Amino acid sequence: MSMKKNYVVETIRKAQMVELLAKGRRVDERSPDEHRPLTIQTGVIQKANGSAIVTLGNTEVLAGVKVATGAPFPDTPDKGLLVVNAEILPLASPYAEPGPPSEEAIELARVVDRGVRESEMVDLTKLCIIEGKTVYTVFVDVNIMNVDGNLFDATSYAVVSALRTAKMKKYAVENDKVVVKDDVVPVPVEKTPVSVTMARIGDVLVVDPSSEEEAAMDMRITITTDDDGNVCASQKGEASTITPAHVLEAVDTSIRVGKAIRAQIIEATK
Amino acid sequence: MGLLKNADGSAYINWGKNKIMAAVYGPKEVHPKHQVLPDRALLRTRYHMAPFSVDERKNPAPSRREIEISKVIREALVPAVTVEDYPRTAIEVWVEVLQSDGGSRVAGITAASLALADAGINMRDLVVGCSCGIIDSQVVADLDDTEDKEGSGDMPVAIMPNLNQVTLLQVDGMYSRADFQKAFELAIAKGKEVYGMQREALMKRFFEGQEAGMVEEESA
Amino acid sequence: MPMIERKQVIPGDVIARGNHRYGSYIEKRGDELVALRVGLAELSQEGVRLNPLTGPYIPRAEDQVIGKVVDINGFGWVVDINSCFDGFLPASFVFGREFSPATHDLSSKFSVGDVIGARIESFDRSRDPQLSIRGHGYGKISEGEIIKISPAKVPRLIGRRGSMINLISERTGCDVQVGQNGVVVVMGPPDGIAKASSVIKMIDRETHGASLAARVEEYLGGGADGS
Repeated sequence: MSMKKNYVVETIRKAQMVELLAKGRRVDERSPDEHRPLTIQTGVIQKANGSAIVTLGNTEVLAGVKVATGAPFPDTPDKGLLVVNAEILPLASPYAEPGPPSEEAIELARVVDRGVRESEMVDLTKLCIIEGKTVYTVFVDVNIMNVDGNLFDATSYAVVSALRTAKMKKYAVENDKVVVKDDVVPVPVEKTPVSVTMARIGDVLVVDPSSEEEAAMDMRITITTDDDGNVCASQKGEASTITPAHVLEAVDTSIRVGKAIRAQIIEATK
Repeated sequence: MGLLKNADGSAYINWGKNKIMAAVYGPKEVHPKHQVLPDRALLRTRYHMAPFSVDERKNPAPSRREIEISKVIREALVPAVTVEDYPRTAIEVWVEVLQSDGGSRVAGITAASLALADAGINMRDLVVGCSCGIIDSQVVADLDDTEDKEGSGDMPVAIMPNLNQVTLLQVDGMYSRADFQKAFELAIAKGKEVYGMQREALMKRFFEGQEAGMVEEESA
Repeated sequence: MPMIERKQVIPGDVIARGNHRYGSYIEKRGDELVALRVGLAELSQEGVRLNPLTGPYIPRAEDQVIGKVVDINGFGWVVDINSCFDGFLPASFVFGREFSPATHDLSSKFSVGDVIGARIESFDRSRDPQLSIRGHGYGKISEGEIIKISPAKVPRLIGRRGSMINLISERTGCDVQVGQNGVVVVMGPPDGIAKASSVIKMIDRETHGASLAARVEEYLGGGADGS
């Protein structure tokens, strides 16, 4: 693991960024709270139970859902399993390398997982088939296809979109045995959590940082909110700090910006 | 503090049922060499839970949770360390959870920052943490392990108290905008209380029985 | 006599505000002078100083150090100077300009394990510290007892303008060489060495206090066994 930044931003470019930000503008002409164009395409992998390709600017992420059955965790015998995993593919960036998941990929998956889990997006009690014995296990695997900043949000949107469109086989219990039925039912989705990640560059928080902005940022903060504007997950990243006032500003921005993104996700996954 | 004789600095913290030992080695040579940072120190952190630290034996291999926590602990400590004072070196911070309770990462950070000060690594401020959560729709500070499981949220926060900067923030659970602010501000306030104890521990280690104040300059 | 205000500080503490001269281990933040180490801060007319109570040895040019030779290569000696950076003593500094790796035998001068007194000739961020033994009192140390103390306590052991070390030397009849890196060598009669080394260890153990000089004085004035 190397702590060296992979991508180096030119000093003059960073100076330009800071100068523009002081006037409320960004190098790619966005306003500080504006995300890059977001596209969502679902049902792209036929063999998956649900899938979605999300592009956020040039960042491209593919999420696939696979549903199987298995044993529940001993401490939650009446709940199904939901696991999010992410891999930054070697083809995604000149700096990515094959091998076991990096610290960054583990953090990415865990933060996205937290948003999905804590928002109670999927009603895990409805994934129980026989209490203590058999439950649905929902795996969401994410392949990062192209890296251009803000993997957190792109991954989150892909996972949420894939889950919203996922269908699983119906199982019935007959004579204490689990029997597979022919028809399919949707994965029981209740909510649409939306993650909004901001980078702090100097004194300004910018939404959806590009990789160039990430290379220049001091720190990163991700805040995930649910449909009712509740905060359900957050993560501060990078070896720098944030003031308490900025944290609260980030929460408000996430609630505000998240609304429009949620509407777009819901529209794309109808 | 200073319990581990081999380490350049160490601190042991008892916080609720948490029993955590933090040790600092360094600055020292960087191995492997390609990880050397020419302009600053490389801070390495490992948060690790002993197999016997939890109810069910934990597999000693680092879990994904531990890898993530090691990363956020590093990112919580680096802002306090003047890493530019120690170019081309490594500073290692080992956080070993011997018995775990709720809030072990913030307790670990609190101990690690004392171990860094004990080792005499230049620091801009100490780092101190506290976590908050929600139980029965009430915001509460410093959840223990059973509350952590019953409650509907956990918000570990670490701060540099003198600089009023947040160095770690993780949230899970369900917080209204108002509850978020309440929990966040409570975590900071509690962290400042723990800072008082951190300060006391350092004072006890280094100044016990000493008096400060005005003195006449010693003659040559 | 000028007054000095002493303050016990920990990292992050504001030592003073305003425009003072300030030394190492202090960071200026706006008009605040902030401590970076646990230590005893001194405020006087000369400015603000921080005497840290703990910390590693980081080489500085002109420091006098005591180290041991741990390796020899074709061009010089690698010296452990009790730091995260190894010192390097180039052979050309010892044999002169006519040094040639083909004709000069480096181990004839210093071999692995030898203790040497040296001066840090140069040290910067890109290279390990370069040592020199030119000058009085440098070179191989072939006798005496080695004592390692915390590098942070070295100024205390030396004392103001050498007062403490002179006192120890005088009262024990020993020659005491102190490296800035916390390595001390005591040479002299055996009972003197025993006494000197126990008082040096005491100084290392005890934290800074205004009464340290008096305690050392009392100690050295007392029994020869130092109990």
